[in-house]
Order: sequence, then structure tokens, then C-alpha cells
Amino acid sequence: MTTLVVKDEDPYGHGIGGWLSHVGAVIFGIPDTYRRELRLHRRRTIALTIMTVILVTYPILNSAFLAAFSRNVFPLPLPDDTTVTLMMIFGIMAIGLNIVAGFAGLLDLGYVAFYALGAYTAAFLASPHWGSISVVFLANVPEGFPGIHLPFWIIVPLAIIVAGTFGALLGAPTLRLRGDYLAIVTLGFGEIVPVVFRNLSDVTFAFSLGPISIGAQHLNLTGGSLGINPIDAPYLPFANVTFNASAGYAPVYLGMFLLLFAILIARNLERSRIGRAWMAIREDELAAEMMGVNTLRTKLLAFALGASFAGVAGSLQASYLGATTSDFFTFSTSILVLIMVILGGIGNIWGVLLGAVALTYVDKTLLPYVGQQVQQIAPSFPNPAQFNFLLFGLILVAMMRFRPEGFLPNRQRAAELAAHTQADVEAKVDAIGAVDIQAETEAAIEADPSAVLDNTGPPPGQDETGPDARSPETIDEERDL
Amino acid sequence: MSLGNPSGQTAANTVGPPASDGDVLVRSRGVTKRFGGLVAVNNVDFDIPRGSIVSLIGPNGAGKTTFFNMITGFYTPTSGEIEFDGRPIVMKRRNGLRSLPPHEVAALGIGRTFQNIRLFGTMTALDNVRLGANVHLKSRWWDAALRTPGMLREEAENRESSMDLLRLVNLEDRAHAWARSLPYGDQRRLEIARALATKPKLLLLDEPTAGMNASETRDMTTFIRRLRADLGLTVLLIEHDMRVVMGISDRVTVLDYGTVIAEGTPTDVRRNPKVIEAYLGRGAADT
Amino acid sequence: MDQVIQTFIIGLSNGLIFALVALGYTLVYGIIELINFAHGDLFMISSMIALFLIATVFRLSAATPVLELVGVILLVIAVTMIVSAAINVAIERIAYRPLRHAPKLAPLISAIGVSFVLQNIANLIAGPANKSIDNLFPTTNLLSAFGITTIAVTFQQAFVAMVTIPLLIALTWFVDKTRQGRAMRATAQDPDTAGLMGVDVNRTIALTFLIGGALAGAAGVVQILYNNVTVYNLGFRFGLNAFTSAVLGGIGNLSGAVVGALVLGQINAFSDRFLSANWTNAIVFAVLIAVLVFKPTGLLGQQLADRA
Repeated sequence: MTTLVVKDEDPYGHGIGGWLSHVGAVIFGIPDTYRRELRLHRRRTIALTIMTVILVTYPILNSAFLAAFSRNVFPLPLPDDTTVTLMMIFGIMAIGLNIVAGFAGLLDLGYVAFYALGAYTAAFLASPHWGSISVVFLANVPEGFPGIHLPFWIIVPLAIIVAGTFGALLGAPTLRLRGDYLAIVTLGFGEIVPVVFRNLSDVTFAFSLGPISIGAQHLNLTGGSLGINPIDAPYLPFANVTFNASAGYAPVYLGMFLLLFAILIARNLERSRIGRAWMAIREDELAAEMMGVNTLRTKLLAFALGASFAGVAGSLQASYLGATTSDFFTFSTSILVLIMVILGGIGNIWGVLLGAVALTYVDKTLLPYVGQQVQQIAPSFPNPAQFNFLLFGLILVAMMRFRPEGFLPNRQRAAELAAHTQADVEAKVDAIGAVDIQAETEAAIEADPSAVLDNTGPPPGQDETGPDARSPETIDEERDL
Repeated sequence: MSLGNPSGQTAANTVGPPASDGDVLVRSRGVTKRFGGLVAVNNVDFDIPRGSIVSLIGPNGAGKTTFFNMITGFYTPTSGEIEFDGRPIVMKRRNGLRSLPPHEVAALGIGRTFQNIRLFGTMTALDNVRLGANVHLKSRWWDAALRTPGMLREEAENRESSMDLLRLVNLEDRAHAWARSLPYGDQRRLEIARALATKPKLLLLDEPTAGMNASETRDMTTFIRRLRADLGLTVLLIEHDMRVVMGISDRVTVLDYGTVIAEGTPTDVRRNPKVIEAYLGRGAADT
Repeated sequence: MDQVIQTFIIGLSNGLIFALVALGYTLVYGIIELINFAHGDLFMISSMIALFLIATVFRLSAATPVLELVGVILLVIAVTMIVSAAINVAIERIAYRPLRHAPKLAPLISAIGVSFVLQNIANLIAGPANKSIDNLFPTTNLLSAFGITTIAVTFQQAFVAMVTIPLLIALTWFVDKTRQGRAMRATAQDPDTAGLMGVDVNRTIALTFLIGGALAGAAGVVQILYNNVTVYNLGFRFGLNAFTSAVLGGIGNLSGAVVGALVLGQINAFSDRFLSANWTNAIVFAVLIAVLVFKPTGLLGQQLADRA
């Protein structure tokens, strides 16, 4: 009965129309939101604006003139279009893994499996792989062309469904396990999926069920170790743009578009009842369960949703590169994405994005460049580009020891990690106090519930009373009831 | 703000306790819990009348918290029956008993606090309370992902009712402080607000005045009485402070070594020689 | 039938090597509840060290006189065990000890980092290709002395048993009977109480890594002399098998790890022989997942503290 009353006050109406008008209100409210942000966080907003402008215009500038003289002007090489596209792809993955590892606190060491599932979804549904049949639907290939050819815009939602489903299938039996066991199970899954794709290239089977006999001889399901190629590139029909590796900066913008969506969805989830439930589970799973949170289901949701982001990234990667093989999807890729998340700041979307951009740059542009220089000076010296994971391994060890919260930390996660690493209560309180002062001004914005697009995290207290002698700072260590 | 469902809402699908029991919210029969060889709770029959404040007392290790944990579905009894509001919390399965999972028990209307406060420390006080209301929110993940109008409306309502609860426990001006930055007494009250957000019919308080000074304890006692008077809650209390127990309880049940040794009004229990013996040691009752 | 028996013998030798590595996982997990992800890579490093000693330092070959061969092999085992133990203790000091009070997943992530570092150091020094030595042992079938020719037991396989079985017995004795062994069991059960009771917890943990490292060192030598080949990423596959063994036997349980390793040895051998080596890793992972999901305590239960 209360809902009836509120419905009358609902400014947006109902159903799709209501939602669209809401989205419209948000979009048209952007100038206002921006002005408010500028007023409340002047320096940060200006910095973000400049970064956004650089990011958005970079690909065009790069192709126009930066590439021509960058080597002479800048001390370090600038990333080319391929690298920037990969930054977007890894950005989507990092944001997805952040949902699992950052929001819900579950360590997934086999995240690459979902990336592979996304890539193979694109490979199966937009390539001449199934040569004996021809299904062409709204795709940029001639009618009657062998194989299944669906447009990228249909493949992305399918990849989301496939990866999400497998995420749920893997999670359902395993999410009861403790954190480290779960990590190993996901690692196993991440290894099995590429092996299956590699080995199912020559399938012979036969069985009969009553009068029906089904069988196949030497059926090539997955392309084996050669993988599947060519895969149709994403294609925008009316503008007649093909987003493939030779299309210059166009794919960068496709990646940016999908990344923007990923950011939006992840942020929306974070600031919803589901986001709160994830954080509660991360802090104290048992208390969350006692407060009515279906912890198993909520963790499963994190797993499936996180996986679906990797599905998007995979389908984009395969469509953009035009080929896929199981060799792309190794354990080290899972770890690479994990390092992006940890380096940037686990739990913080902007942090993990920074991690993805920085690490992709190091991996794809900086190390190859350094390698080239080294080879010129000392040809017999090992090429640093081949030992990228020596560097990444050292980063992992160093980060865990010296800065587990990452370089752009989520305040909550930083405090949780600090609480564990520093034994004495005093230090903990100091750390929180310091954060509090910095965050004081930010409390104002949370007080405004209409702020739909604001990007402040949950602010801690406006003032710090400090714990009295009985302050239960040690409750996280006590696991009894 | 409405707290607690109207009583009798679930009456339609109730098996119904025998008429002689009166209006009983929690009914346990022969509840036993063994941990290995240790019998923590032994054959406990225990009723909580609707709308009452009942205290569970006993020396340390008497099995009080274990009993709490069985009501909330965290432990499954080794044997026995527990009913809440006419619905069984413990079900018989082919391979023994099976409890409802704690989150379903919470959804039925049991809210609780913890002996060692278990707030979500780095979530704000407001978000702690909002989390408590999670079980009553209907928006799904796609609503959350797309921020549908229904979801925004629900969030706004949830925010409002959570602020109301913070107001109820006098914490509205600390709504945006991290739970763990609050002083001890505030944390205790915040935990109660969080439990109230689950819209419980029964509130389980595990030593709510532990570590409090005299005036804080008085405030808490008044507050618990108000919860019953204003919100119509039934309260089950574990408490060591006898002044609190004697001051607010309608009925007191005494556990010792997992067994109920006395049950009745505070005055009855205080005079019971078995209780005196349990607390002061054997022989004390005779002197 | 001969094929099955032959496969079984191969599986037994595999299993014994797995056992040495699996014990390292299970000891460390039993004590500090850390999946020491880098342990497989430590085994790989040991095999590289052994290869370097045998091929470059001592230049052993099949032509080396028997007495010298035996003496040098014993020396190589000793040196590799010492070096490997030292590396493991150093890793614990640098990468795990500072994280003793960190959230549980932090040391695991650190261990993954160490694993990559070890792999890439090996790649940097030895290169990405397989490194191999010639077989040092006679190739005669030991069973031919008994008139059996359809099934073969090689000198290499006998060597595996001769190294691993005494080490397993020595370890059991150490953990069961010595003072340090008791300290380890006490720490495994409850580090805080053990500390209060006068056990030097840091030293005991270091000792655990020392023993695990030494066993991995021995396993590295056996690997080189049995399979005659190693490669920088051998540790991942091998570590996976050894860890699965430990989980299968009930992680923290020493005899369980050995039993698990023997089972895993058979799974590997039969999968390689009768299915396809391409699927072996996937099968091992499937076993690992199945055990963790359906019986996370393993076949023999988790109990370093109760029965070592």
C-alpha cells in the first residue's frame, strides 16, 4: 500500500519509458552535476577533465601528428592504436575482476577462462569456422558465405551470457570454499578451459539412442592449437566503419565505448544494495549472513557478473584481432589482470583502470621499446620484453609487502588492509584519522541523494572521536560469536 | 516508518501452537546440541511469549550463546524442535536435522546483535543499517546495474527508513562516520539499529550492556523497554548484569551446563536455591 | 596386462617424485596455512642446479666409473638440497614473513609473484628451451635377472625409490620423534599457544621451509637423473600435481601427501598412456577441483598436528 502512494510521486513514470526518461534526466543533468563537482572538488574535477580530454582526443592526435615526431619530443615512446585498444580491453577485464576480487573479496586466479569463452563465442559465431553451413545475419559478409556470421553487436550480449553462465556454473559448487581453496579451484578452471579449446579439434564419437544414431568423424570443434581465424571484425553498418587492427583509431573508440559501459555498470552495482552486500561479505561474511544477506547467492552474483565483463573483453579482442587461439589464454594473463587490479587499488574502479592502462603500456609499449634499445647497445643481453613477468612477479611481491592497497586505493580497502598489517591499535587509529580529515569535505556530497553521477566513495566520519579504552578494534580478529 | 510486520501476518500458513501455549513466538522442545563429546545445550524446552522480554542467564559456558545460535540457524541442533512464529526453523531430513540458513531465519523476522560487536567496520553507520534492510529490498541486479526508477525509489525509501532508525538510536549525526570509528556505546546501539532494519519480530540481544558504565547501562535498559513499547518487539536477552535482568525481564530462564535449572519471573528465579548454587557454588544455598 | 603393469611402474616412479614436492606443500600449509605457490618452481630451480652440477661441474656421463658416479651423485644431492633449502628459507624471509599478520590471501598473491620471479630467472639464465643430460645409468632391465622381459624396471626407476623412500622415512622420524618436530606440530596446531609455550615460532616456520626446500632439492636431482630433462616452466605443471597430491591426501597430513602423490603418479601415467598427454593437466585439475568441492579435507583428513 505504501508503494501505491509513492508511485504517484514517482517523477519518472514506469517501465521502459520511465527508465528512459530517468536516463534522459541523468544525461541532461550532466552539466549541473559537473558544475557541482567543480564546486565541491575543484582540483580533482579539473584533473579528471583534462585526463578525459587527453584520452578521448589522443587516438586522433596520435594518428595525425604525434606518432610522427613523438620519438624526438618525448623521452618515452607513446602507445600506438593497438596498445590503446588493448588498454581498453584490459580495462574492461580489470573492472570485471575488481567486482569479484575488489568488491566481494573473492580471489579468482582463472579469470582468463571467461576471457577465452568470450573470444571463442565471437570465433564460433562470426567466422568461416563452420564451413559446411552458411548463416549470415546482418553481418558484413556476402550472402551465402560459409560459416556463421552474426554481427558484433549481437555477439557481445551472447558473450556476456556465455561467460556469465559459466561463471555461475563454476561458482555454484565452489563458492562455499574458503578463500585460498577457491583461488586454486578457479585457477584449475582457468587451465582446463584453454586445454579443452586446444584439444577438441578432432572429435570422433558415435552413440545411438533407440532408432536415432548420432556420430561424427574427426569433427573439428575448436580449431585446435591453430585456433580460429579469420573472425569478422566489428562493423558499423551506416557509417561503414570496420573496427579491425588495420582501421587506425576506430577500434580505440569502440573499446572506449564498451569500457564506458563497463565503468557505468560497475559503479551502479557498487552503489546499490548488491554493492553493500558485497562489501559486508568482504568484511564479515558471517555477520552479513546473520543480517539476512544470502551470502552464497550474492557471491555467485559477483562471480557471474565479473565473468561477463571478461566475456565482453574476449569477444572484443577476438573480433578486433580477427583471430583467436588457446595460447592467448594462459595463467599469466589471469595474473596480469590481477596485478592491474592490485597495482591500481583493489576495490577502486578508477584505480584498477589506472592499473590496466599503466601495465598495458609497460607490457606492450615500454618494455618492447627498452628491449629494442638494449638490443642495439648489447645484442647478446637478454631482451627485457621477454622477461616482463620477472618484473610483474617482483611487482606482486613488493606490492603485497609495501603497498597492498595499491596506488589509487579504495579508502575502505586500505583501512581493512591496514588493520590487518599493523599490529598495534594506535597505528590503525592514526591511519583512519588521517583518511578522515582528507575525506571531511566529501561527506557533503553524500548528503545529497539526488547525486546520481557523483563519484565519491562512501565517506568516513566527519570527525574522529577516537576509540575509548574499550574500543573493539580487534573484532575482525575474533571469529567466534 | 514501520517496524515489524503486523503480528499474525503469517498466521495463514501457521500450523499453530496448541491453544494452551498462549501466543508463543518461539517454541523449543528438547533442544540438544553436542560438540563432539561436549553437550553444550541439553534437552531445553523454552518458550518466548509474543511481546515479552525474556532473559537467558547462566554462568559462563552454560550454553546461552549456543542456544542463540540455534535459534538463528547458525548451528543445527543435534536433536529437538525449534519453531518461530509457528514455522519450524529446524527440519527433519533423512540424514538428520537441518536448520534454515541464517539469512532465511533473518528474513522470517529474527534480528540479533553479537557479544563481540560485529559491525561492518569500514562501512558507514548508515550503510550498516541499510545493509540490515537488504532482505526486504526487492530490486534485482539488473535494476542495480541500470539504476531503474523502481530501484532508485526503493533506495531512497531505504535511506529514509534507515535514517529514521539511526534517529531512534540517537546516531543520526554520525550517519556518515565509519562504524568502527564510533565509540563503544554508539557501536552497541548501531548494532541494534542494524538488527531493527531487518524488521524483526524477535530481537536477540547478546550482552547488550557488556562493558558499559552505570549510566550507559540505564540508558540501554530504558531503550530496550521502549523497543517493546513502541515497536511491539519481543526481546530475548543474554545478560550478565543482574540489575538489568531483574529490572526489565518478564521472565528469566537459567541455564547451567546446558540444562534449564530454573524458569519463572525474576523474583521466583532470584529465590531459587538451584540458581544461587549455580552462581555461588555448591553449598551456598544452604548457608 | 603387461601394459597396465608397465604403466603402473612408471606411475609409481612419478608418484615418488611428486611425494617429495607434495610434502613441501603440505608442511607449509600445515604450519602457516599458505598455499606456497612458488614451491613447484623451487623444484624446477633445483633441477636446474642439479643439471648444472652434473653436466657442467662434474661432467658425469654413462662412462664415469661406478664408484665415482655414486659418490658424485650423493654429493650433488647434498649440495642441491642445501642450496634449495637456503633459497626456500630466503623466500620465506622476504616474501611471506612480513605478511604474517596480513589478510590470508596476501601471502598467496606474494607466492604467485615469487613463482613468476623464479620461472623468469630460470628462463633468463637457462633459456626457454628444454635442458637435458644423457642418461647416466645402464639401460638394462632389472627384471630380466628374474627372466621377465615383457615388463621393464630400469635402473633409473630403482634410483628414484632409493632416494625418495629413505627421505620419507627420515622426515616421518624427524617430525614424530625430535624436539623440533614436536615444535612444528605444536605450531601447526596453534601458533599463538606454541609461542607462549616457548616455541620460537619464526624459527619453527623457517625450519619448515628449510625441510620443504631440502625435499624439493632432492626431488630436483631425482627429476634430472630419472627424466633427464628440465625446463623453466616445469614447476607449474609439477607443482600442480604435487599440490593436488597434498590436497587429495588431506592438506597438512604428511602420510596423506605421500598417498596422494602415489595416486596422482598413477593418474598421470595412465592418462598419458591410455588417453593423451594433452588431457593429463586438465584431468589433474579436474581431480583437484572435485576433491576440493566434495571432500576438502582430503582422503585421509587434515592433521599435521595429530599424526605427522
